Amino acid sequence: MWLAEQASPGHGASGQNAGSLHFQIERRFLEREGGLGYEGEQTARLSRIAVEDWSSLETTMDIDLNIHMNGGLMVAHSAAEVELLEAKAAREQAMGLSVETIDAAEVQRRAPYLSPDILAANFMAAEGHADARIIAPTFTQAARSAGARIFTGTRITALRKHGGHFSATMESRGPAQAGGSSRPAKTETRRITAAKVLICSGIWSRQLAAMAGLHLPLFPAPLTMNVTQRRDPFLPYLIQHVGRRLSMKQASAGNVLIGGGWPSRMWRNEHEFDFTRPPALVAESLAGNLKAAVETMPGIVDFDLLRSWTGITAVTQDQLPVAGEFPAMPGLFCAAGGSAFTLGPTFARLVSRQILEQDRAEADALLSVASPARFESLNGFMGQ
Amino acid sequence: MHNGSTTDYDALIIGGGPAGQAAAIELANLRLRCAVIDEQARPGGQILRQPPASFEASHWAEEASYRPLKQQLHQFETQSGIDWLGRRSVIGLQSDGTSHSVLISGANGLQQFTAPHVLIAAGCYDLPVAIPGWTLPGAMGAGAMQTLLKAQGILTGERIALAGTHPLMLLIAAQIHAAGGTVAEVAFDQPFTRFAKAMGRNLGTGLRHAGLLAEAGKAMLTLRRAGVPVRFGRKLQGIIGREQVAGAIFAAGATEEQIACDSIGLCYGFLPQSDLLRQAGLAVEWAAPAGGWAARHDDWMQSSTPGLWVAGETTGVAGAPIAREEGRIAGLGIARALERITPEDAAEQAKSSRTVLRKMAGFADLLAGLADPREALTRIQPPETLICRCENVSAAAIGDVLRETQDANAIKRITRCGMGACQGRSCEHALLRMIARETGQSVGQQPGFTARFPARPVSIGDLLEHDLQ
Repeated sequence: MWLAEQASPGHGASGQNAGSLHFQIERRFLEREGGLGYEGEQTARLSRIAVEDWSSLETTMDIDLNIHMNGGLMVAHSAAEVELLEAKAAREQAMGLSVETIDAAEVQRRAPYLSPDILAANFMAAEGHADARIIAPTFTQAARSAGARIFTGTRITALRKHGGHFSATMESRGPAQAGGSSRPAKTETRRITAAKVLICSGIWSRQLAAMAGLHLPLFPAPLTMNVTQRRDPFLPYLIQHVGRRLSMKQASAGNVLIGGGWPSRMWRNEHEFDFTRPPALVAESLAGNLKAAVETMPGIVDFDLLRSWTGITAVTQDQLPVAGEFPAMPGLFCAAGGSAFTLGPTFARLVSRQILEQDRAEADALLSVASPARFESLNGFMGQ
Repeated sequence: MHNGSTTDYDALIIGGGPAGQAAAIELANLRLRCAVIDEQARPGGQILRQPPASFEASHWAEEASYRPLKQQLHQFETQSGIDWLGRRSVIGLQSDGTSHSVLISGANGLQQFTAPHVLIAAGCYDLPVAIPGWTLPGAMGAGAMQTLLKAQGILTGERIALAGTHPLMLLIAAQIHAAGGTVAEVAFDQPFTRFAKAMGRNLGTGLRHAGLLAEAGKAMLTLRRAGVPVRFGRKLQGIIGREQVAGAIFAAGATEEQIACDSIGLCYGFLPQSDLLRQAGLAVEWAAPAGGWAARHDDWMQSSTPGLWVAGETTGVAGAPIAREEGRIAGLGIARALERITPEDAAEQAKSSRTVLRKMAGFADLLAGLADPREALTRIQPPETLICRCENVSAAAIGDVLRETQDANAIKRITRCGMGACQGRSCEHALLRMIARETGQSVGQQPGFTARFPARPVSIGDLLEHDLQ
């Protein structure tokens, strides 16, 4: 098993997201026409599996990942939002997710720091958060211990399938020489062959699939995240809002992370979006996100904002993630798309089973909602 | 100058030190409207840090080398057409083609300004040196020590030591002595021969543009006469104390020597303030020998982004006289870009400044060579030494990760080094030196932390009070 990472583990969205473990149906699905329909329900099914995966992750991997699953509240400020919460909870219960609706008094009892204007909330005990900044590096170490070869600072510059196998070109750039040698950084090129290839490169996945001659219609979603100064622990829950873009949680170190999907602005060059520069901060997003935070948790108005940052996640047009094998090119797998932090360990486990042909039928069935088979209408035109 | 009220400016100037003042005076002379933003209540920058107006300050900055700067300060304060926006921090700088927006945090909450031209003349700060004990109360940058003295008349201890490589500490020691303080020792890391050699090699330069060095020489005599030990080849090993500084340990050959002091100023050099440069995505380069990121610029001090200009220590720490001439050139450059002055006239008026800069370049090199802190900074510290003081990250914790990755942002994510309130201002240079040691590359070949908004922590309430739309 070889793994190529163009920068360092966690450099992209997996290290830059705000670390929510959100298993309730996401607000972005509710925003859609008939949002409680197929897509929302299908991801709820994946969420049910993800709850089990995150609950057992530290034990099965025998490592500390700062995972906190103390519950999550999705709050509502208006009567219409309360109705949405109730409908959502009913659907989630039907899908086997344990979600309850609690009233204003119960919200205040559990979380007295939340606004008294909040009318109700959905509570799910399994929700929580993990430290996004350390997950990818820790997984990398575990993979290395298990025998994987990891190449950081290494880009794939060519990928194609010949007959029954894939060949790829990898370019590693310095500093390749550790330990005090004064040689300048240099580029090292390797050609490798493999029976199977997994593309799990976030927004860069589209380019890698294109190298292999396939469409993978992922689109960049440049987002904004914020973090406050450290405070003593007071917030055990993940807080989300059913009608506003908001997520809040307190990290292990004490800082409060504030996100929720507020846009930032991509840099562009003549031809395309430029993924190499962090997107520019948008003032309206910063204000909108912080306003939603203060309206939900008034006391946060006195916290100092330490840092705002931007990062690029990848989404599909139907908002569903992509995980599984390309029917148009057997042996080529993908794991990318939205919610890939929360669903990441589940994708990893199930796609690995597909790759290794272990209980394949079950893995196929569980991932069917995310399968790249839905792009066959596009990839049918792509000659190999 | 008067206190600002409008938001319609031809140019915004960040920093009211010698560079910012010089640019503002040029612009005002050409009837261009500018505002000067500064964190201090009164103009002057760090070099002419003014006490509050209510203080009696009869001996304030009376050394001869301050005289031309004080003249310029007086001109700046009496010049009309300059708005002074004191007590405000610039926390954000974004550039969008022809307009540049500056977000400012101050006593009155937030303000946003946009202007076609912005000059960053944000100065420099004490090079923080991570050695055992450097976070004890009483240990600080020597510049901070001098600021407390200049601005508030405060002595930081009963027995004050200074240690480092920069000749400025002789002046600071003399100022402490003049203010009635006791100086325990002035300890230069480098041997005296390096002073003698550098002075000899650059004798002409040193004499012609003596400024700081002449003052340092005078200060040395004063200190000697007062019985203050000024020693060379004193390698500071650590600062000791329980609750606060109680002493300093120096290597003396194979043994160690301890001196008693309750405050110590570290004086190894200065780093350019680069947070705004990097937030705005301007091209920077590593500023050897002391380090930090300096802005690249053209002949008119325009940065890599048209409309954003840089002057003074922001372009590399070289001292106030150079900063002032760069500020003048930047002011003329902005006026030239606004077509308030013809290119020919601008070139003519900039001539005198360019001549001074050419003459001063040798002196700046001489001083940089004399004060070169690199030998002291590359000494390997005990593993428990804190590198990041905001997040308590030790050299050992960074060392563990360095074997896995030499990417500063990856190390930041894994260890939290640079994630605290100072945004990496203290630790970034030390981390980059550790990375360079690990990879065998020279410092600055690897990029530093990605600079993020805000440049200073700011309360969420303040941010929301301001209409960001």
